[in-house]
Amino acid sequence: MTTFPLPDLGEGLPDAEIVTWHVKEGDAVKVDQLMVSVETAKAIVEVPSPYEGIITKLHAAAGDVVGTGEPLVDFQLTGASAASAAPTAVQVESHAPQSGTVVGMMPVTGEIIEEHSLLRRTRHAVGDQVRAVPAARALARRLNVDLAQVSGSGKDGVITLDDVLAAAPLESPRRKVASAVEATVLGNRRHDDGAELLHGPRRAMAQSMSRSRDEIATCTVFDDADVHAWPEGTDITVRLIRSIAAAVKEEPGLNARFDPSGPSRILFDHIHLAVAVDSPEGLIVPVIRDIDKKSGAELRASVDHLRKSVRERSVAPEEMRGYTFTLSNFGTLAGRYATPLVVPPAVAILGTGRLQRDVVPTETGIEAHRRIPLSLTFDHRCITGGEACRFLAALIRDLGKSA
Amino acid sequence: MAQITMIEAITMAHAWELEHDPSVVLLGEDIGINGGVFRATAGLQQRFGSERVQDTPLAEGMIAGMCVGMAAQGLKPVAEIQFMGFIYPAIDQIVNHMSRMRNRTRGRMSCPVVIRTPHGGGIRSPEHHSESVEALFAHIPGIRVVCPSTPARAYGLLLAAIRDPDPVLFLEPVRIYRYAKQEVANDGRALPLDVCFLLREGTDVTIVTWGAMTVETLKAATQLAAEGISAEVIDLATISPIDSEAILESVARTGRLVIVHEAARNCGVGAEIAAIVAEQGLYDLQAPIQRVTGYDTVMPYFKLEHDYLPSVARIVDAVHATFVD
Repeated sequence: MTTFPLPDLGEGLPDAEIVTWHVKEGDAVKVDQLMVSVETAKAIVEVPSPYEGIITKLHAAAGDVVGTGEPLVDFQLTGASAASAAPTAVQVESHAPQSGTVVGMMPVTGEIIEEHSLLRRTRHAVGDQVRAVPAARALARRLNVDLAQVSGSGKDGVITLDDVLAAAPLESPRRKVASAVEATVLGNRRHDDGAELLHGPRRAMAQSMSRSRDEIATCTVFDDADVHAWPEGTDITVRLIRSIAAAVKEEPGLNARFDPSGPSRILFDHIHLAVAVDSPEGLIVPVIRDIDKKSGAELRASVDHLRKSVRERSVAPEEMRGYTFTLSNFGTLAGRYATPLVVPPAVAILGTGRLQRDVVPTETGIEAHRRIPLSLTFDHRCITGGEACRFLAALIRDLGKSA
Repeated sequence: MAQITMIEAITMAHAWELEHDPSVVLLGEDIGINGGVFRATAGLQQRFGSERVQDTPLAEGMIAGMCVGMAAQGLKPVAEIQFMGFIYPAIDQIVNHMSRMRNRTRGRMSCPVVIRTPHGGGIRSPEHHSESVEALFAHIPGIRVVCPSTPARAYGLLLAAIRDPDPVLFLEPVRIYRYAKQEVANDGRALPLDVCFLLREGTDVTIVTWGAMTVETLKAATQLAAEGISAEVIDLATISPIDSEAILESVARTGRLVIVHEAARNCGVGAEIAAIVAEQGLYDLQAPIQRVTGYDTVMPYFKLEHDYLPSVARIVDAVHATFVD
């Protein structure tokens, strides 16, 4: 048996006079069914039933004055009201005289709030979130292009429609889609002369090298590192990587990003090294992260993993982004010196040629030393010749050590 | 440290300011002897006297006008408009005088008024008692609009509002006046205005909301987490001026934005937030911005009230809609 008291009908009114009962003892009522009309100092108010049940007792008759909070109606709960009579249900806060609610029901739970809020966090650098013009996103979805693999040519590296078109893979069914899109979107850019349309890494290379040509103030310095002090079986690639870390420490200006619109540059406090790898698909440039924090064994493991991924064509998009310096070890094939290209917004690249024995004059006579030819290309908009040469000197010094 | 409801936190903040700042005066209908229809000012007239806590006639324009005059004479009035639906007669004073006093006097005077009013519906009250028209005031330069969502933020933000030398419209979400309790230290420490509060960190979608809708939004976030979607929930807290930097920073990381407000859709504050993100964060978005709002109708009476108010399900659906692929 549940007693429903006269609720606080608003503005702290102390009592109300019963005008008309709309139910009688013994009636079955539903929730919200009109139960009684009462008159307060302000107006006649209709009180709905808060429960589903059977009216067992009316505590006052028409004309009686009932105090707020005093018993009004007794119910025998049935159905949903009986089931939810458990204390954990939201209570109707309507019986305490000081509750201060107008007609209606203010939800009250027993919940205690545990404060977890933070006051505005400081901005941290945007991670690998891809920034693309919305139309480019839609096009990428249609052409099945992975935006993470597309390099953006718009302002601040935003991916544009053209970038997506350039990156679209063109196996035969999609070739039609891409061509159709090109025809409609770009008018007269199709080639009908039987030329092989480039896709994947070749397409990306054509794009990024064009950007390099258009934007970078290229200057290359050549020198040789004398490595005759190296013992048998020295891991060449690992020594090259280590020397880059040593040189960056001395001249951090080559491990940076340049923005010509400032002009401004950011010197990075981490070194993520992109390693140029040749593959049947073309030039692939996966990244080894934090080379200055890895041991020789860890670097070797990273390089092996990298070559394996390229062979298996399993280089993930994240593994190609975020590099701060590049190594192009073309010397495993042929070639001594080169003018490797820097792809913006990076500012430098080291090309290493074939390690071979050179005849060198020394103070004591003629000797044959193992040497590695070095070609350091840098963006002269933001790196001075002095910085580049000091970098090169630090490279040569570190490579010259026996271990 | 007691665990108190939002209403008690509001009373506590009033008492602190009445005690520590002799220029603070409260006024409003039924706030004195009665302590307010929601008991927000319970016991204050008994404690501080009828000159500091004044019962006014039933005249909102007059209440607001008195505030302008009191503020001009060096007092700090904190007025209650009994329900936001009653604020319209006061708009003349608020817009034509309060919000302009600093501008009109070229900075020689400001108008340190706080107008507090219960905001929103969900308590089955009659017509005019469930309004949420914050957009009207967000549009007016010179007045701040603030809306807390927990007892602690109600305490801290009300203190900040009272201490601020410019007018603040302080919206109190009536549906959560007594919904839950929280430990709030009565230490007089204000929270900063004009910044968002991060309620839940997430990586997949940013949900911006305020007032009572933070409850449903956090429930939706829990439901989404079970589906593997990590939602970041931001309490706007100060509705005007909008802390757009916090929202843009969050969207830059998540790439998706859903805005939830109880107020009607057309030209609601959600539209302004969406415009800001479209202007300054477009390239970070991976899907169109979604708004979950009340409908463009008069707020219905209690039988349809919960159909009007954005539900947990509607919020979850809106988040799903941002995962178009």
